[in-house]
Amino acid sequence: MSEQPFTLAIPDADLEYLRKKLDVVRLPDELDGAGWQYGAPLAHIQRLLAHWKDGFDWRKAEAEINKLAMFTRDVDVEGFGTLNIHYLHQKSEVKNAIPLLFVHGWPGHFLEVRKLLPILTAKSPDHPSFHVVAVSLPGFAFSEGPKKPGFEGRQYAEVLNKVMLALGYNEYVYQGGDWGHLLGAHVAHQYGHKHVKAWHSNMPCYRAPKLLSNPFLTLEPYYSAAARQRISKSAKYRVTGSGYFLEQATKPQTIGYSLADSPVGLLAWIYEKLVAWTDEYPWTDDEVLEWISVYWFSRDGPAASVRIYHALTGGSTHDSFAGAARSTIPLGVSYFPKEIIQLPKSWTQLLGNVVFESEHDKGGHFAATEQPEALAGDLRKMYGKGGPAHGVVPGRNGYD
Amino acid sequence: MSTSPEQPFRIFVPDAELELLRLKLASTCFPDELEEAGWEYGAPLANVRRLVARWRDWFDWRKAEEAINADLLQFTKDVEVERFGVLNVHYVHRRSVRENAVPLLFVHGWPGNFLEVRKVLPLLTASERDQPCFHVVALSLPGFGFSEAPGRKGFAHKQYAELANRLMVSLGYEAYVVQGGDWGHYIAGSLATYYAHTNVKAWLSNYPTALPPQVSTTPWKWLKNLLKPYTREERERLEAMREFQTKGTGYFHEQATKPQTLGYSLADSPVGLLAWIYEKLVSWTDGYPWQDDEVLEWVSIYWFSRAGPAASIRVYHQMTSGFEGPPAAGVRWMSIPLGFAAFPEEHNRVPRRWLRTLGKVVFESEHSRGGHFAAHECPNELVGDVRRMFGKGGPAFGVVPGKDGYAS
Repeated sequence: MSEQPFTLAIPDADLEYLRKKLDVVRLPDELDGAGWQYGAPLAHIQRLLAHWKDGFDWRKAEAEINKLAMFTRDVDVEGFGTLNIHYLHQKSEVKNAIPLLFVHGWPGHFLEVRKLLPILTAKSPDHPSFHVVAVSLPGFAFSEGPKKPGFEGRQYAEVLNKVMLALGYNEYVYQGGDWGHLLGAHVAHQYGHKHVKAWHSNMPCYRAPKLLSNPFLTLEPYYSAAARQRISKSAKYRVTGSGYFLEQATKPQTIGYSLADSPVGLLAWIYEKLVAWTDEYPWTDDEVLEWISVYWFSRDGPAASVRIYHALTGGSTHDSFAGAARSTIPLGVSYFPKEIIQLPKSWTQLLGNVVFESEHDKGGHFAATEQPEALAGDLRKMYGKGGPAHGVVPGRNGYD
Repeated sequence: MSTSPEQPFRIFVPDAELELLRLKLASTCFPDELEEAGWEYGAPLANVRRLVARWRDWFDWRKAEEAINADLLQFTKDVEVERFGVLNVHYVHRRSVRENAVPLLFVHGWPGNFLEVRKVLPLLTASERDQPCFHVVALSLPGFGFSEAPGRKGFAHKQYAELANRLMVSLGYEAYVVQGGDWGHYIAGSLATYYAHTNVKAWLSNYPTALPPQVSTTPWKWLKNLLKPYTREERERLEAMREFQTKGTGYFHEQATKPQTLGYSLADSPVGLLAWIYEKLVSWTDGYPWQDDEVLEWVSIYWFSRAGPAASIRVYHQMTSGFEGPPAAGVRWMSIPLGFAAFPEEHNRVPRRWLRTLGKVVFESEHSRGGHFAAHECPNELVGDVRRMFGKGGPAFGVVPGKDGYAS
């Protein structure tokens, strides 16, 4: 089936069902003075719950989302049949705009592209313009997920590439963070040069260097305080902030029962990351609830979304880069201070062919939501006239 | 006054709670599942669906409740803990007919509960001719079963030990022995750490796990560990432990770092709680033939617990300082007799020499079947170990003065 326009219309029965569940929520207590030390604080969750029941207007949010140009199409995936994939496709009025594929992660979704759209598609002689495609990964939001095991980096990359080709973008550039970053390594490996001409990550991380092959990089933390500081930030995330990762990578079905059955369970699971991973971003309750609702109302349910952790890590037996060798296509990276994984900047060259780097003093993991101007600005600099990746897509340099 | 008089206790879950559970079960929203998933991704959908349907339509909690109250005489008692005020503690207490039975404290873990004592209780307290017998106290840890949970941060090794010791002493057991697995192992070790000799005379763990000898604390043991090769069984077990650490500890990591976040799911979703616990009941046992009602009764104890299921997982955070340190860090080597009952399917099994870092090991057993929930799966084997360790000719015979467990 070729492209179909997509209109979000959650059935009334689903809204009613959610309301029924919210009415019988049973909350835990909390230790005195817990703050954020043990996870999402009770007072926040209580407030969000109350708003979800009585204040948050899903239909209004839905109507706003429907103003975005959304579509679905069937995509064949070798060995997995057909998956119906949901995506957003916003063209620029600039004919030669650069086709850009934006890929979200977990607990993210396609709406993270929202604030970037007007900036990236804007026309101006002073900066390049982009045609933007934001795909919902299989098993997220309104994309169908795979039904069999074995859907790994290769398959996710295949879906992403096929969507771009189907839209007539035989050559394009890629932007992602979180799983969007990790899958970017796979897309670059599989389709680099041939289809994807350059990529950008706002969560640049890769395997640590090995002493024998990269002695200077490996030893850098020993003599560079800056490098050590970056690593220590990652350590904090690894020790106290990655329990969700290990559970989702090893027992996604087990945690899936909770996420599928309990709106407050899902809310807390995601909200904790929305706050912990951002740089004091002033989340409004409506913003949070819209975000959670996209998970709650997702086509395959919230449990499907966490399977990517198991799929890409072999059930926690290898890292997510397995099968994705370093590509030589141009790579741009943006460093945000509150990103959860930070490694010495010199290690980024192991990830790819770094042609662009920028560092910001504000922003965290959800860069497109927190710092859209900064992120879009980086893309403009990277691909604009005089930029290191200007003209990578033949015939589409972003200017008319 | 550090404890109050003992109050008899019968479990009685209010009708309103039964009704809420029924309502929630009736509106369960299930996820889908990958084809032929088996147990690879966690608790299988077909099993969970079946259990939920039974819990909703067939499982008779009142009947289970009545049977528990009939089998296990329970009590509650206020116990004061320094800095935490008074906690009301729920426990099972059964004395043997033999006056000088050995007082024994039985400590469960997570996702265990006081019911784990059910099968061993009649065996331990029975006065058989040539076997020692025991007065048994099995408490619900604070935040589990029908014990109150601490309201403040910092309830860890010292506090569990203080609470448990005060409980035993207040029941007239100035001197006693301890048996535990899972957190019960670490709490027994904590009891040894703080009350060895004065009150705690020996302990038997069915969770043979420990840290390797550290160069800083036991340099000689550390060196010997480095130099002496492991046996084939030990190497296989280390491999199994690595496998478990890699694939089976997601729950531990989350509970030790974000128990509140996870707690919302466990408190609100019966199926979420069921799957979370059931996955361990099956994967940590050695082919134990769980009956559906057995599982549902077990999970119901968590669902209906006094402090709610979210409180129970805080022990992971408190005992590891938020995953910053191993739970064994709170246990000091003491010279009171220590025994290990080893079951093949237990996880985290370490080389025997590592166990010697926890105390003076005088007893070790090795069984051919059984896993993590030894008292429930292999009650005869576990009781056999208790009897061998504390019986006549055993390495800890007569550790409790005047109470050797035999007819005088």
